[in-house]
Amino acid sequence: MESLITAAARALDAGDPLGALNRVALRNDAPSLALRGIAMAQLGDLARAKTLLRSAARAFGPKEAVARARCVVAEAEIALVSRDLNWPPKTLAAARATLERHGDLVNAAHAGHIEARRLLLVGRLDEAELTLAGLGTAPLPPASQVVRELVVAGIAIRRLRTKDARTALDRAAKAARLAGIPALSAEVDSASLILDTPTARLIARGSEHPLLLGEVEKLATSAALVVDTFHHSVRRQGVVVSLGTRPVLFALARILAQAWPADVSRHALIAGAFRARHADESHRARLRVEIGRLRTQLKTLADVSATKQGFVLAPRKTRDVLVLARPVEEKHAALLAFLSDGEPWSSSALALALGMSPRTVQRALDELAKSNKVQSFGHGRARRWMTPPVPGFPTGLLLPGPLLKT
Amino acid sequence: MKRSAAEIISEYGPFAGVESVHGVTYDGTHVWFASGDKLNAVDPTSGKVARSINVAAHAGTAFDGRHLFQIAEDRIQKIDAATGQVLTTIPAPGGGGDSGLAWAEGSLWVGQYRERKIHQVDPETGTVLRTIESKRFVTGVTWVDGELWHGTLENDESDVRRIDPETGKVLEQLDLPAGTVVTGLESDGGDRFFCGGGSHGNVKAIRRPRRGTRR
Repeated sequence: MESLITAAARALDAGDPLGALNRVALRNDAPSLALRGIAMAQLGDLARAKTLLRSAARAFGPKEAVARARCVVAEAEIALVSRDLNWPPKTLAAARATLERHGDLVNAAHAGHIEARRLLLVGRLDEAELTLAGLGTAPLPPASQVVRELVVAGIAIRRLRTKDARTALDRAAKAARLAGIPALSAEVDSASLILDTPTARLIARGSEHPLLLGEVEKLATSAALVVDTFHHSVRRQGVVVSLGTRPVLFALARILAQAWPADVSRHALIAGAFRARHADESHRARLRVEIGRLRTQLKTLADVSATKQGFVLAPRKTRDVLVLARPVEEKHAALLAFLSDGEPWSSSALALALGMSPRTVQRALDELAKSNKVQSFGHGRARRWMTPPVPGFPTGLLLPGPLLKT
Repeated sequence: MKRSAAEIISEYGPFAGVESVHGVTYDGTHVWFASGDKLNAVDPTSGKVARSINVAAHAGTAFDGRHLFQIAEDRIQKIDAATGQVLTTIPAPGGGGDSGLAWAEGSLWVGQYRERKIHQVDPETGTVLRTIESKRFVTGVTWVDGELWHGTLENDESDVRRIDPETGKVLEQLDLPAGTVVTGLESDGGDRFFCGGGSHGNVKAIRRPRRGTRR
């Protein structure tokens, strides 16, 4: 269509946002505003990008529904990357429907990928998978294939399916090379790191060693009794006893498992599970009650027997007891897990993702900030929280390439 | 106004390495089309690309008998069709908002996409001689037998229309099938138009309607 717009869009496509800006910096027509918005987003000025894309969407006339929908998709991606999880998913769904209706399947798929990434981020894996499945099988350009495979790999990793994750990442790497965009290849590489970096610790018979994701996956089929601190559960193969709502019982199970095959003194159990420094008679009575409850819960998996000093775990049908723990144990481990994607989060977005009250999240963040485990920038509503960069999933800004093509 | 569905005679492409077709012209033998960083000559009988010129090619294309004219960014390049060399450039009247290009009667005719205008331009200096208003976004522009035709594209819907060069009034309209676009237009001087297909990366030939009485 328009000469200078074509030239600027080609520059953007080739990964040259400055070249694109050079051509349209002073123009305020709708396509120029959209191009400037995307260029600014790629240069990292997300606030300016958002404003520009909004003005672009307004400036496109009522007959330009497709162009308008593309602006909405780009704005949704900016919202995702800035962890603005309150951005309305319905608006994105409407834009996606418009694009589908007008045959712009590539950008419609891009919109679907953004939705799937959002769902992956907030841990709604089934819905993320459904969204991906609903995107159809139209052939996508390499850059879009990369995004798709990254989401597939992200879901597989969260589901502990290392083999699927690796295949998806291999496909992503291949597509990234085809796309020829270095930032995409870097994104795939950093995602692959997750599979080769210890994600957990294994504690057994008094010693511990780091575990890769694939090794964690193998534990699901091993015959050992596993006390899983990620899911607050005790399991052996398919038999799972969830103690998520019984923190004291879980603490007891864990202390017993870590000492196994030795027993644990009453004193140590009381100190560990009740956080009481001095054990009195009432604590001993409470311990008896809680051990009784634990025994009932674990019935199918293990017995808890009394010894002279205290108690010992007696696993059934196996001669192995393992504790699966986080690589570094933190008080606010779940919160840190979200922040470790290396992106800036607002405390309200964290509250939404964690299902906690904003006030609780705020308190935890303040505590973590004091020990320099998280950092914040900005003030008031614009305040964002981050950890030092750790490979995350998926983080980059990949904005629709063919946004302005006809 | 007469309105009918466009009759598609043939289709060329998609071509290897071509993402989008931005402008189309015809030199009597080959159909030329602009694909971003190249001008490509297609043999209309075989549908094969016979020759390419490496030159920035972001919008309309035209041919005056010896030279190719090609819009790139905010200027119009005059290219020696034999050697492929850029001889001179003049500023484009739309300042970069330019779309279609045609050569007729010693002038260049330049479509300005979103402004819905067609400018008549002096090919030596770039001076705008006059401006015709259209009703829709203008893509390709062409003249044939004293008729001014242009392509339109709004919200992924395209038609090819003949307008009164004095008043801009639509005299005749050929609707393209849903999902196809026109991003460049050229008459072969006979009963065919060549149309660029935008990001479909192809070129279509459609039939120019015959009229019993010519005005």
